Amino acid sequence: MPGRVGVCRRLLFALLLGVAAAALATPAFALGGSGLRPTVPDGVSENGHRIYDLYTYLISPFGIFVFVLVEALLLIIILRFRRSRQRPDYQPPQWHGNRWLEIGWTVIPFLILVVIGAFSFIELQRDFVRPADSVTDLDITVSAHQFGWTYYYPEGFKVNSEGLQATPLVIPTGKLVRMRMQSTDVIHSYWVPDLTGKTDTVPGYDNYMWYKVSQPGKWRGECAELCGTGHYTMQILVQAMTPDDYQAWVSDQVAKAKPSPSASPSSAAGAASPSPSASPGASASPSPSGSPSPSASPSP
Amino acid sequence: MATLAPPRPKNYDDTFFKPISLWLTTTDHKLIGIMYMTTGMLAFVIGGVFALVMRVQLSQPNEKVIDASTYNQLVSAHGTTMIFFFATIFMTGVANYFVPLMIGARDMAFPRLNLLGFWLLPFSIIAYFIGFFVPGGALSAGWTGYPPLTEKAFSTSLGTDLWAFSLIIWALSGIMASTNFLTTVVALRAPGMTLTRMPLFVWAQISTSVLLLAVGAPLAGGLVMLELDRQFGTNFFTTQGRPVLYQHLFWFFGHPEVYIMILPGFGIISEIIPVFARKPIFGYASMVAALFGILFLSVAVWAHHMFTVGMNVYVETFFMVMTMLIAVPTGIKFFNWIATAWGGSIDFQLPMKFAFGFMATFLIGGITGIYLSSVPVDTQLHQSYYVVAHLHYVLFGGTVMTIFAGVYYWFPKITGRMLNKTLGEWHFWTVFLGFNGTFLVMHTLGLEGMPRRIVTYPGGFGEEGWGATNTFITLTSFFVAISVLIFLYNLVISWKRGEVAGDDPWGGNTLEWATTSPPPPYNFERVPPVRSHMPLRDLRAEGRIGQGEATKQTVEAPAAGT
Repeated sequence: MPGRVGVCRRLLFALLLGVAAAALATPAFALGGSGLRPTVPDGVSENGHRIYDLYTYLISPFGIFVFVLVEALLLIIILRFRRSRQRPDYQPPQWHGNRWLEIGWTVIPFLILVVIGAFSFIELQRDFVRPADSVTDLDITVSAHQFGWTYYYPEGFKVNSEGLQATPLVIPTGKLVRMRMQSTDVIHSYWVPDLTGKTDTVPGYDNYMWYKVSQPGKWRGECAELCGTGHYTMQILVQAMTPDDYQAWVSDQVAKAKPSPSASPSSAAGAASPSPSASPGASASPSPSGSPSPSASPSP
Repeated sequence: MATLAPPRPKNYDDTFFKPISLWLTTTDHKLIGIMYMTTGMLAFVIGGVFALVMRVQLSQPNEKVIDASTYNQLVSAHGTTMIFFFATIFMTGVANYFVPLMIGARDMAFPRLNLLGFWLLPFSIIAYFIGFFVPGGALSAGWTGYPPLTEKAFSTSLGTDLWAFSLIIWALSGIMASTNFLTTVVALRAPGMTLTRMPLFVWAQISTSVLLLAVGAPLAGGLVMLELDRQFGTNFFTTQGRPVLYQHLFWFFGHPEVYIMILPGFGIISEIIPVFARKPIFGYASMVAALFGILFLSVAVWAHHMFTVGMNVYVETFFMVMTMLIAVPTGIKFFNWIATAWGGSIDFQLPMKFAFGFMATFLIGGITGIYLSSVPVDTQLHQSYYVVAHLHYVLFGGTVMTIFAGVYYWFPKITGRMLNKTLGEWHFWTVFLGFNGTFLVMHTLGLEGMPRRIVTYPGGFGEEGWGATNTFITLTSFFVAISVLIFLYNLVISWKRGEVAGDDPWGGNTLEWATTSPPPPYNFERVPPVRSHMPLRDLRAEGRIGQGEATKQTVEAPAAGT
């Protein structure tokens, strides 16, 4: 009954499972940019890097283990317990259950999840609680709109990044940058995969994201929350410079901004409190209303 | 066999070639079930065409097959059609047909409510699709319809209102069906069928109905608030209000909806594996407990769709832990299925093939779910193609594969004829390879940083590297399309000229195999005695019936519906 066709099919099935296993188990070598990256990008910031660690070294071993175990069990069943390969008088055992087995496959997955959950919680405590003003080196306000981003720097100038030709957000290396995320119209989401995870910009309240970039470089990203017909054009560029280069760039921008002071936002209070609530309204936004910004941030 | 068309089974013409007026007015749960399933299958084809158009658009960087506005409408329509109009409706159809049969009832508890519940759906579906023909087009904010994008200020089209209206009607219909299922199972079980002797598919349908009953109203409520904003100028979710409140309401429905789509599939698999392995289900009690574990956990995980909106870390931790815990009951079900098949005498007929295909693929969706549940990791993966791959592994590798398994399993009961095996093999292998080819590499696109719901990736910053992967995905997605065509062709020709099935072609365990194929309008002449959750197997073991002749029992049927 099984014949050659049956064997072929089984081999094909085994091959397919092998490919699937290999795809999950591929080590994290440089496939980035090719469209076949096996893990999340290894972030150039500390928090981005720790997300990579969680993905690659905590969850993946368990994930690959469970995948290989279950697919192997399925394969063994497919190969060993076919009726066509058994004696005609074979009577399958009539098990109705087994208390210890059932307790086992309840408790063991639970323990695995406790480990994953515990490390995720530690990471949440470490990197997802907004840093205090005292440890923050640079405060930038990001105002999102259909379809672009405006970056307000504490020195009083702003950088507009509109559409496909994204203008870079310039940041210094080695400094803790904290961004106050706002939206003047719909919900957007700021995502630069090489930097760290994404943060939504929601009209009505402020969100925060922060990172400390270790090396100079330029990275891309884009809006991750469907925000209208121009969603795909909301590209992001981030450029990290050494502190000296950054200072030079800032002086340059301040000099450029001087001739037209009306364009600068009301932020004059320095790094500690950029008072961004009034600034988004001044941007060239198509929104019908400025953000009321009740500054009741849900982040602690 | 091909040349000689076998004679039609008795009742065949009576059941299936009635005048249209009968289809419009019937209260027979079987005919209503067939109408549900047909509606679902039509929606599956339409939603699939939407997906193919999107895949062609995404096959190359900077492709311009359709514009952004059309793409946004299609991306919303694909989700809405597949989730609301295909998966849920088709599963409701399967349950409508088989729950009364499996518990030995004559019909549903409220046959006319059943009729009303079904006939609300055409209004719901047509209302939504009219959106494509109004100025501005249909909903274009994704199937989730997040405000403020769906507010009047940003979506002026009537299509958005039609979408909200459509889903409110849909929720009403779902609430009616759920009430009906629960009452039927509580009130109309055959003599001897205690709760612990019910088939697991019936248990699965109970948990599904409880869920839909619990979360249908919050969905409708959220949409009513959205419509108040749009039509009467309130500020629930506008830029002046709290847009995130909508997300809470929507996902309080939206996540349990995932389980509304997959739990009946779990039930189908729990029916199929014991029959084809010739073993009883392993751990019946823990299977039922796992269903209810999933039910209760699933209403406390919704905010894992919102880990990037800026919630308190302790709130995020709560939802992360609850989400991870769902893996425990799901794992119990998986290992119980494996233990059921282990040591069996397995006949790999098509239903069993699809059951194993389901387990092999759904597993991947379950594992990626653990990655996504971890809040820090989710901030990278959220709203990327990784999520698209994950949800298709769960909904296609899960719901659709179980639907295919169920159709191959029960088609003989519904029509009296077997589905063609050769076409079925072609269907299985094209869908298995096509599906995995399409969605496995999609994970890596998300890891590259490709967000979902973008009409194109213009290139210039390195995204052009996504082109090759996307081309591959587009090519394999057509395998899936071909497989569905083979399946539909098989349905049509087998219904017309398939091999006659007999009453019990698989050697089934449950009561639906104890009546003729197709069953008469009154379902059973005599309901067999029920002494375990496998009443037909018991009869066969006692020698009271032989293989394939299930209708010679000696016990009187109870008076109708009591």
